[in-house]
Amino acid sequence: MKKVMVGNHAVAWGVRLARVEVISAYPITPQTQVVEKLSEMCADGTLPARFIKVESEHSAMAAVIGASATGVRAFTASSSHGLLYMHEMLHWAGGARLPIVMVDVNRAVGAPWNIWTDQNDSLSQRDTGWVQLYCETNQEVVDTTIMAFKLAETLDVPVMLMLDGFYLSHTAEPVDVPDQEMVDRFLPKRAASYKLDVESPHAFGALVKPDAYMEMRFLQQEALQQVPQTLAAIEKDWQRMFGRSYGALEAYRADDAELLLVTSGTVTSTARAVVDARRAAGERVGLLKMKMFRPFPTALLRDALRGVPRVAVLDRNISPGHGGIFAEELRSALYDIPDAERPELFGFVLGLGGRDITPAVIDEVIEKTRAGVVPSREDLWVGVNP
Amino acid sequence: MPKHTTTSGGAARVPEHITTTNGARHVPQVAMSSMSTLATRTGSWKYQYPAYHDRVAPCNAGCPVGIDIEGYMNLLREGRVDEARDLLLAENPLPAVTGRVCHHPCENQCNRRALDEAVAIHAVERAMGDLAHQRPAPVFRSALRPERVAVVGSGPAGLACAYHLARFGYGVTVYEAAPAPGGMLRLGIPEYRLPRDVLDRDIARVAAHGAEIKCGVRIGRDISWDDLHRTFDAIFVAVGAHASRALGVPGEDLPGVRPGLAFLREVNLGGRPDLGRHVVVVGGGNTAMDCARSAMRLGARVTVVYRRTRDEMPAIREEVEDAMREGAEFVFLANPLAFTSAAGRVDAIVCERMALGEPDASGRRRPMPTGERFTVYADTVLSAIGESTALDGFYPDVQGSASGLEVDALGGTSRDLLYAGGDVTDLERTVADALGAGKRAALGIDRHLRKHHGDTHELNALRFGEGNLSAARWLRRDPIRRTDPINQVVGVDDLNFTQYQRVRRHADPHLPSGSAVTGFDEVNAGLTASEAMDEAKRCLNCGVCTECDVCLIFCPDAAITHAEGGAYVIALDYCKGCGICAAECPRGAITMTQDRP
Amino acid sequence: MSQLRINELIPEGRLLASGHLACPGCAAPLAMKLALNALGANTIVVMPACCYTIIAGPWPQSSLQVPVFHTAFATGPAVASGIRAALDTQGKFDTTVLVWVGDGGTFDIGLQSLSGAAERNENILYVCYDNEAYMNTGIQRSSATPWGAWTTTTPAQFPEASNKKDILAIMAAHNIPYAATATPAYPVDFIAKVNKAKAMRGTRFIHLLSPCPPGWKCGDDEGLELARMAVQSRVFPMVEVEDGQHWRVTMEHAGDPVEPYLRRQGRFRHLSGEQVTHIQREITARWESLQRRAQAEPLVPAGAM
Repeated sequence: MKKVMVGNHAVAWGVRLARVEVISAYPITPQTQVVEKLSEMCADGTLPARFIKVESEHSAMAAVIGASATGVRAFTASSSHGLLYMHEMLHWAGGARLPIVMVDVNRAVGAPWNIWTDQNDSLSQRDTGWVQLYCETNQEVVDTTIMAFKLAETLDVPVMLMLDGFYLSHTAEPVDVPDQEMVDRFLPKRAASYKLDVESPHAFGALVKPDAYMEMRFLQQEALQQVPQTLAAIEKDWQRMFGRSYGALEAYRADDAELLLVTSGTVTSTARAVVDARRAAGERVGLLKMKMFRPFPTALLRDALRGVPRVAVLDRNISPGHGGIFAEELRSALYDIPDAERPELFGFVLGLGGRDITPAVIDEVIEKTRAGVVPSREDLWVGVNP
Repeated sequence: MPKHTTTSGGAARVPEHITTTNGARHVPQVAMSSMSTLATRTGSWKYQYPAYHDRVAPCNAGCPVGIDIEGYMNLLREGRVDEARDLLLAENPLPAVTGRVCHHPCENQCNRRALDEAVAIHAVERAMGDLAHQRPAPVFRSALRPERVAVVGSGPAGLACAYHLARFGYGVTVYEAAPAPGGMLRLGIPEYRLPRDVLDRDIARVAAHGAEIKCGVRIGRDISWDDLHRTFDAIFVAVGAHASRALGVPGEDLPGVRPGLAFLREVNLGGRPDLGRHVVVVGGGNTAMDCARSAMRLGARVTVVYRRTRDEMPAIREEVEDAMREGAEFVFLANPLAFTSAAGRVDAIVCERMALGEPDASGRRRPMPTGERFTVYADTVLSAIGESTALDGFYPDVQGSASGLEVDALGGTSRDLLYAGGDVTDLERTVADALGAGKRAALGIDRHLRKHHGDTHELNALRFGEGNLSAARWLRRDPIRRTDPINQVVGVDDLNFTQYQRVRRHADPHLPSGSAVTGFDEVNAGLTASEAMDEAKRCLNCGVCTECDVCLIFCPDAAITHAEGGAYVIALDYCKGCGICAAECPRGAITMTQDRP
Repeated sequence: MSQLRINELIPEGRLLASGHLACPGCAAPLAMKLALNALGANTIVVMPACCYTIIAGPWPQSSLQVPVFHTAFATGPAVASGIRAALDTQGKFDTTVLVWVGDGGTFDIGLQSLSGAAERNENILYVCYDNEAYMNTGIQRSSATPWGAWTTTTPAQFPEASNKKDILAIMAAHNIPYAATATPAYPVDFIAKVNKAKAMRGTRFIHLLSPCPPGWKCGDDEGLELARMAVQSRVFPMVEVEDGQHWRVTMEHAGDPVEPYLRRQGRFRHLSGEQVTHIQREITARWESLQRRAQAEPLVPAGAM
């Protein structure tokens, strides 16, 4: 069934198809359409879930933690300050190994106030033990929402799914809505391996002394390290049933590329057009889309970038005092590649607070990457008018 | 009571973690519990230990007879009426009597007074005594002994001594000078306080235990003391104090001036003398009250003249109240100086007004003359200012034979194998003290004849606190099993009243005073059996665990549990020694100690 | 019967295991034992940061023989809301979700979450065991600390200068079905309130006075007696409120003077006579205010209707 819908509604459709049982959320621009659509679905019975309309994001995350700990499928969505307000509980969900799925509609963080997109909200949550997946299209949002539950419940890790505020959240695209029966086959009802159950009473999350805390963190790391191959297997099933897949990384026209753009989110679509134009002009320019940021897909990235002469990373985020976050982490990942095969990496900071990343901006990125033998600084700002 | 125990040092449950692998250690991916906290021996934190120690209720310690009052109250609470009766009768042969006439110092000691009112112990005892008439206890006697003991006097001391000696296995003969046994119980106490059938039934119990009672025999006159000594292995002297003390004022020998005791004896043996219209009773003790009330029953108007005030009256409070209710007038602070006469018979008593001065040896304020005089008119004067002893042909060398026999802790006089008790000795002259003295002497005689040489420590183990000796304990037949008892009286501060509700004491139902004075029917009707059972449940059971579960309920460490048979187990592995059990125990039956149990 | 046989009114149970880590004389595990015995095994406990985080026992142990979810400080009611929702979707309507929180987690950091849950009338039972300061971290003042009290952050020279927050009135103002005060020192009253709350649906709130010997600076065995003194002196009256409207005083209060209660605790030892008088006046005023509220819904005498 094809439907035209905005990204936020694509989230709601994914949640509905995944047969989520408990939702708890608090409204925030530009996520609000998610909670509105889900409220409608719960109200009209198309989604028979309990929706707890809490008084804060902190409580929203706490409520889905409680629900997930009781063995049901739970979902929340937020954005920007809302996500930051959840921070403490994001850690709790990660440490408690609860397979919660949430959507973050990427939005810049104040001060000053800004409601438009960038990735600083979600990237500042990168150490909370959540898988982070960045989506490019509304189709990918629907599909990934459903797959995220499968991934989360397979490994007992929470998954956060990102879509760019307004560029995706409020942009209508045709979406092939997966068939519910097929989704049910793909994603059966959650069978928790442990849960709050009066028939089998256990305490969860009590004080763990130094003699075991580290082991639990190690096991959390082990589980997260399994995410790339687990997601690959899940996508294989999805591909088989629905004819679509995305990958933790997607290489676009990257064969024999002299220059590879590395992107995430909606800027990928713009970059695809630029790449097509450059290829048409005979230039060896390609694209690597990073969907997965956590766990950081180091091995996949090394394979994809080994021997590529120049790499331009487009970061719609900034770690103040350091640089673009994707670029910084990529530099670390590529450090172990022998000098001869290690690409020269150019890290660009651009598009903050919702500033447009037009084809012209990406052209500027390409030109600057070509021009320098080595980057003049780690953070190359594009489109800044100082 | 069941034996409480403690536990410690059992095998800990070894944790079995849910396993996910990390080298040799097994740690799960989430912090999910797999065991209780029982593996954590928090008991090691403590520096003090709780222990169940039954202690002594103040009523028991305060009872001159040495009755385990708390014990039988506890049995009654549990509905074990026959066992309660037997426990009472193990110490007191005459409960129907004492339930009526005892001055019940037990009630003065009752800790319940700090909450509302003392338990009406006398009323419960009376009901138990009456019940024992309807449903007698089985006669108990130890293995029979070859020795025989003579008991001289069949008042409460003599009856108690005879009763206990019989239970100890001895042959006993009681000699009574009067035509019927009972001593002062029969001759001194009026029927409206102690009906004769009640007295007869209690005395019958003593006889039923094998004591032979010979009435109309006065030792020293009909049989010499020496003959008695030759015939018997030991003698217990309890002839009482039947002589009224003289007032020592002019006109005392006038017709119409009578010793109160003689008057009571006449009335109690059935006489109904004509006293005239107005009777003056001199004195403030029980004999005075008995005289006053008996005189009113003979139609007289009565005025009691007493040299101190109501507060200093030695009579039982209830007796004074009854006398007042029945219409006796009281003239306090009045000391007789002389009797005047008309037509050869007393017609008035001249008194001096007194004032209270400093306390005397008895602790009561001494009456001091004021010089003011006044006259009270009287057709008959009954003097009741005290009694004295009169022993016929007795050994003059026995210490105290002239005033009051001196006895040791077990009733022994200065003469070998001659014991004494009751009003003939220099001890307190009450029915209860007489019963207690008779028991002590029986125990002393038993020890002596069996050549048992126990020490003071052994004797103290028979006592309730510093109170009287327990015959049941002496016989090693105390049916109450105590938990690690400490012979220490429980005071109000040892109790926790939180769990107790205020419950009104059952008042004794009295005949209306208007009809009471028309005859000698019993004035105090006593409680019904069910009222008495209710009253027994007012007992706080001071110092004795009743398995009320308060300790178990309040233990924050869940370290107290029920054991088999209703007792408690304290898990010392987990008890942190906080002392809440001891603090919350309603009755002071838990003690915190520094020593590991 | 002279002694109230409280064992006949208090359910037995073995849902609290020995070996928990409460300080000697702490009333919180007693309260937990009583509550769990009344609620039974069909109960899930949510435990935000509080003394009980430690008391319950370190992993892999648990002193509670029912499921427990430990969670962050401010989140008790929200986590409970999620558990409730999950249970309801599973058809487990009869399982009680019990939030067990200290005063800091209730009066201070958790108040927003609690207010949210109460406003939504979440079907949970919330018990605040109030020991009147942050005891777990070493006796720092909270908004439940009474005026004049010493804590490590309100030293005796400058003792607590604010009145204790009236949490019961705050909760009653949410018009929840049930809000009550209680103390484990009066277990029959406490159990009656737990049973009453258990039989209701919606947000039920019980505010427990829970003595803390180290924090109150009293003897290990004195806490319960002090709690009773707090009640009898009307420092902490026993009250219940139904639907936010119907106020009822649930036992007789002797109206004893407050001074003996204060003088037996080291945390109040520095108080001057004037300060004690001030506290007494405050108590009297609050009691009169409570009387006016309670009179709005007088108890119907037995047999009157």
